[in-house]
Formats: sequence, C-alpha cells, structure tokens
Amino acid sequence: MRRNPFVYYGKKALIFLLSVFLLSVTVFYISRLAPGDPLMSYYGERVEKMSVEEKETARGKLGLNEPIYIQYIRWVENAIKGDFGISFKYKQDVMQVIGSRIGSTLILGGTGFVLTFVGALLLGILCAWYEDRWVDRLLCKGGTLLSCIPEFWLSLVLILVFAVTLHLLPGSGAYDVGYKNNVLNRIEHLILPLVIVVLQHLWYYAYMIRNKLLEEIGADYVLLGKSKGLSKRKIMFRHCLRNVLPSYISLMAISVPHVVGGTYIVETVFSYPGIGALSYESARYHDYNLLMVLCMMTGILVIFCNMIGQIINEKLDPRIKATEVVETSEVTEL
Amino acid sequence: MEELLKIEKLSVGIHSPMGKVQAVRDVSFALHPGELLAIVGESGCGKSMLCKTIMKLLPKSAKIEGGRIIANGVDITDYSDKDMRKLRGKLFSMIFQDPMTALNPTVPIGKQIAEAILIHEPKLPKEEVYHRVIGLMELVGIPQPHQRYKLYPYNFSGGMRQRSIMAIALAAKPKILIADEPTTALDVTIQAQILDLLKEIRTKLGTATILVSHDLGVVARCADRVAIMYAGKIVEIGTAEEVYYDPRHPYTWGLMQSLPALNRGAKELKTIPGMPPTLIDPTVGDAFACRNEYALEIDYHEQPPMFKITDTHYAATWLLDPRAPKVVPPIGGRGHV
Repeated sequence: MRRNPFVYYGKKALIFLLSVFLLSVTVFYISRLAPGDPLMSYYGERVEKMSVEEKETARGKLGLNEPIYIQYIRWVENAIKGDFGISFKYKQDVMQVIGSRIGSTLILGGTGFVLTFVGALLLGILCAWYEDRWVDRLLCKGGTLLSCIPEFWLSLVLILVFAVTLHLLPGSGAYDVGYKNNVLNRIEHLILPLVIVVLQHLWYYAYMIRNKLLEEIGADYVLLGKSKGLSKRKIMFRHCLRNVLPSYISLMAISVPHVVGGTYIVETVFSYPGIGALSYESARYHDYNLLMVLCMMTGILVIFCNMIGQIINEKLDPRIKATEVVETSEVTEL
Repeated sequence: MEELLKIEKLSVGIHSPMGKVQAVRDVSFALHPGELLAIVGESGCGKSMLCKTIMKLLPKSAKIEGGRIIANGVDITDYSDKDMRKLRGKLFSMIFQDPMTALNPTVPIGKQIAEAILIHEPKLPKEEVYHRVIGLMELVGIPQPHQRYKLYPYNFSGGMRQRSIMAIALAAKPKILIADEPTTALDVTIQAQILDLLKEIRTKLGTATILVSHDLGVVARCADRVAIMYAGKIVEIGTAEEVYYDPRHPYTWGLMQSLPALNRGAKELKTIPGMPPTLIDPTVGDAFACRNEYALEIDYHEQPPMFKITDTHYAATWLLDPRAPKVVPPIGGRGHV
C-alpha cells in the first residue's frame, strides 16, 4: 500500500497549524496572566508618577483593558494582515526591532550549528575508530566532564581569562563602536560566544555518533564485509557511517532550535545584541507584542524542524519504510 | 593430494572478565581442494571460533595462542590485517549463520555483491561488474536477477538473503568457502535447498568447503569428511562413511543416538546426559569424561591422544588404546543407517 503524498503532507500541515494555534493561545494567555505591569515597559519610570486615570487611558490606548480573548482575536486579525503591533519598550514596529537583531543571532547560531554538526561528526568517527584506545578514553571522559559545566559559568570563566586577564578577545557586544561593518572586528567578538555555543552541544552529539557507529561496527554485516576483504576505512565510511547518517541528520534537524536557542543565555552573558537577549528583555518588561512574536518564531522553528527531521528520517532510511510494510501486512492479515 | 588449508595444533583463547576461555584447543586438520569437510558439535564447542580464526576475524579479546594456519602452502598465522585483506574473499570467504543481519540493510543487494567483486578487481568496467553480479545471482539461484539487483535486503526472504550472501562470498572466486551454520536460521525446506546449493557450487566451481553445523543429519547430505568437535577439540575425524558407519568416539555415539531418525518408534529421544563444560580454565583429563558412560579411570587424569584407526579416520578416546577393555559400540554398522 502506498501513501498518497497529498494526504501525507496535508496531515503534516494540519498538525503544524494546530500546534502553532495552541502555542499562540498559550503564550498569549500566560504572558498576560503573569504578574507585573506592561505600562512599565512603555512609559518606564514615569509610570510611578502617573495618576490612576492617566494609567486607565494609557491602558485603553494600548488595548489592555479588554478581556484577554478579545485581545487575542484582535491580535490574530492584525497578525494575519502582517501587523504585529509595536514594541512597548522600543516604540517601534515589532518586526523592525527583531529585524535589527536577528542577523547577529543567525550568524552566531548558524555558525555554531554548522561547527557543532561537523565537529561532532568528526569527533564521533575519531572515537569510534580508536575505540578504547587513549584518544577515545580521553575524549569520552573530557567530553562528559565539559558538558556538565553550566554554560553561564563557563562563559564567565572565558571572559575572565581571555578578555579581562589576557586582553586577547573582547568580552561583550557584537562589534566595537564605529566598527559595525568591520568583518574582522565582528569575528573577534564572535569567538567567545561561539566557543560556548559549540561546546555546549558538541559532546552530546559526538558521543551519540560514536555509540551508534560502534553499534554498527558490532553488526554481522561488518563481519561479512571483512570476510569479503573490505578495509576498515571502507567499512567505516561506506557502510557504518552511511547507516548512521540519516538518523544523525534528522536528529540535527530536530536540534536546530536547541543550538540556535542555546544562544539565548550566551547572548545575555556576553551582552550580544541578538534575539536571545531581546527575548529575555521582552519577557522581563512585559513587552507583549514583542514577546509574542519571538515566542511564535521560536515555537514555529521547533515544530518545523521536528517535522523536517521526521520527513528526512522516513525518506532516507529504507528500514523505516520496511517496518511500514511489515505493519501494513500484519494489519491485512488480521 | 596437496592440502589447500592445513591447521596444526591450533589453540585460541578468549580473555573474559571471568577468566580465560579456551575456545579452540589443539586442533589439527587439513582441507583438500574441492572437498567438503563438515565440522559438527554442540553450541559453544568452538566451531564458529575455529572458522573465524582461520579467516582471522577474531574479536579483540581473542588471541591465537599456539599452532599454525597454513593456507596454500604459506604460513599465515602471523599475517597482519592488511595482509589478510588480500586473502579474504579471494582465497577464502565466509557465510554466516543469520542471513537476516549479515547484509547491510541500507545498501541494495546488487551493490553489495558488486562491492565484493570490486575489492579484488577495482579496475573492472561497470558493465562487466554488472554482468558478473547477474551471473553470481543466477549461480546461487536468485530468479529474475535484473529486477532484484536494486532491491534491499528487507525485500528478500531468509533463504534469498542466504543466497545473496553466498553470491557475495563467491564473488572473488575463493578456493575455500567457510559456511558457519548456514542453515540454522532457516526453515527446514529452505535448509535442504541451501545445502543442495552448497553441493552444486562445489561441483560447478570446485570450491573446497568447510561446513559447520550442530546437526549430523544436515551434514550427512553433503559432507565428504566429518570432524566431530567437543569442548574446543576435534575428537573424531574421518570420511563421512567412516564416521557414520563406524563411529569410534563415545561422543559421536551419543550424537548419533540422539538423531530423531534413529529413534523412530522409541518413546523417548536419547540424549547425552549433562552439559558441555564451560571452557574457562583448562580441563584436566578428557573434557567429555564426566558425561561419558564409557569413561575409563585414565580419562579423568590424562587427555587421550588421537588414535589412528585408518589412514583417514582418527579418534581421541582411550577406548582405542590396546590396553582398554573391549566395548561394543551402541550404534554404527551398516544395519543402522
């Protein structure tokens, strides 16, 4: 029995839309139910000097007086038209605020993701190749230790060592004042946060690759490969790695939000002007419109990447299709 | 006749947390061109280990501790993995017990066979490789090879997979084929087909074959010579005729008596009492002594040497010593089979 691609992708799209809807409702309600005054982010310190009537007018102007579901419906109506409102804090269109910050995060998260992906793969292969030799043992122990260190602490240590003591690298920001378009300056600022982003995830995936490869190496087909005269290198790269890669790629697709989202704490510690630092601020100052869009962006990224991962898995690995065949044949037998 | 493969006093030990396991102990035999030698024994008696030792596919924990492997007149005991690679597939290759796991599940069958050809002849043009693969698939009895070339292992049944594995094993025209329980994981009708195929291949290509099995009945179909293995040792070896009609070792008697075919009409199937010994720490005396109803006092103190019965028939039991009491075998002779 073959699946109809329209039904298949239609189903996926439906699940996607439903997830996005539920996410938006949840975020909308929770942010408004959280204690704190959104006027603080709009008027800042002045709020304290405002009278009750003035506050009421301000709330009315910002549309905060109506019941939450009405507010939500209005938000959805505007959002569909492409209008996400203004940021209370920056008094600017939300998209403009995000637009000015997203580049920095994409550079940090994107580079971090690529480095993690490639680095983990290479490390994993290295460990599996030298299984139980000193390289493998050292990396396994060191890697586990390293991944146990909290990222904010490691960030501070790196800032202390490389920025404060050695003066080798800058410890905060994305560029120095007046060097906005200087690539070299930007790279200098990128190094420390990038190290943290990569180190945070590297070993987890490297260890997974190592173990999956070792599992494959222990399989019978490797013995058959050896008995026909294949070299260790060819068995490793042509057979074992080939069988490990699909699941790795799908896992990495799922991990995109983790790695990119992992920049949030790093950005805050390094005062790196990206989406992460912005999200943190928006939640703290009840900047509802900004928070809403940032949450939706992250959420959609998570849902989307999960789906991509699943699709890749199903397309690349014939074994998954094989289980499908078994399942359907069992069903018909019953 | 020149020997293709000669094993001399081979011993293999596996280091485990519980101690050293003597998986193969002092095994000697020879394989002649074109013959089918069967090695029979219970599970865990070291049959598979012996096969893997010959091809040097031992796990890291296992080591050859003594003896020599002479292949084609050359001592390969100390060959490195790189040297062995040139021999594997070309001089000898292997078929495994479980065809469900021995193929890479994500590579099409045809490609896996082609790979085996290309290892030893990397410069062969593509079409030639394809023709050879098709030829091999036809040889091992895979119908419609052109359509099946691109199929994956999961599209194949167990028997078809075992045939594909045979095609891979035969791809570089090896002189020796080691079949490690090739039919154990298959159902009975397929078993017979695969055994017939082994025989057919031997006649067509003249490939010498070592067939490992735990089933004397399976072996009876096709073996020229039979070696009975117990606790890492060969206890009896001879032509199929000699071993089946004139067995001399009490263990062989036990194995024969437990064949269902010879128990027809009996209420209970005869069995050998007890369990095979674990091979941790070397045994004193004959490892089979405690299960052997014909055991002599000396069996508990000293291992029996190989006694020669005929030029081709040997057995390791003290019963063959001239001083031993005469024992009438409970089985054997033409009347039985």
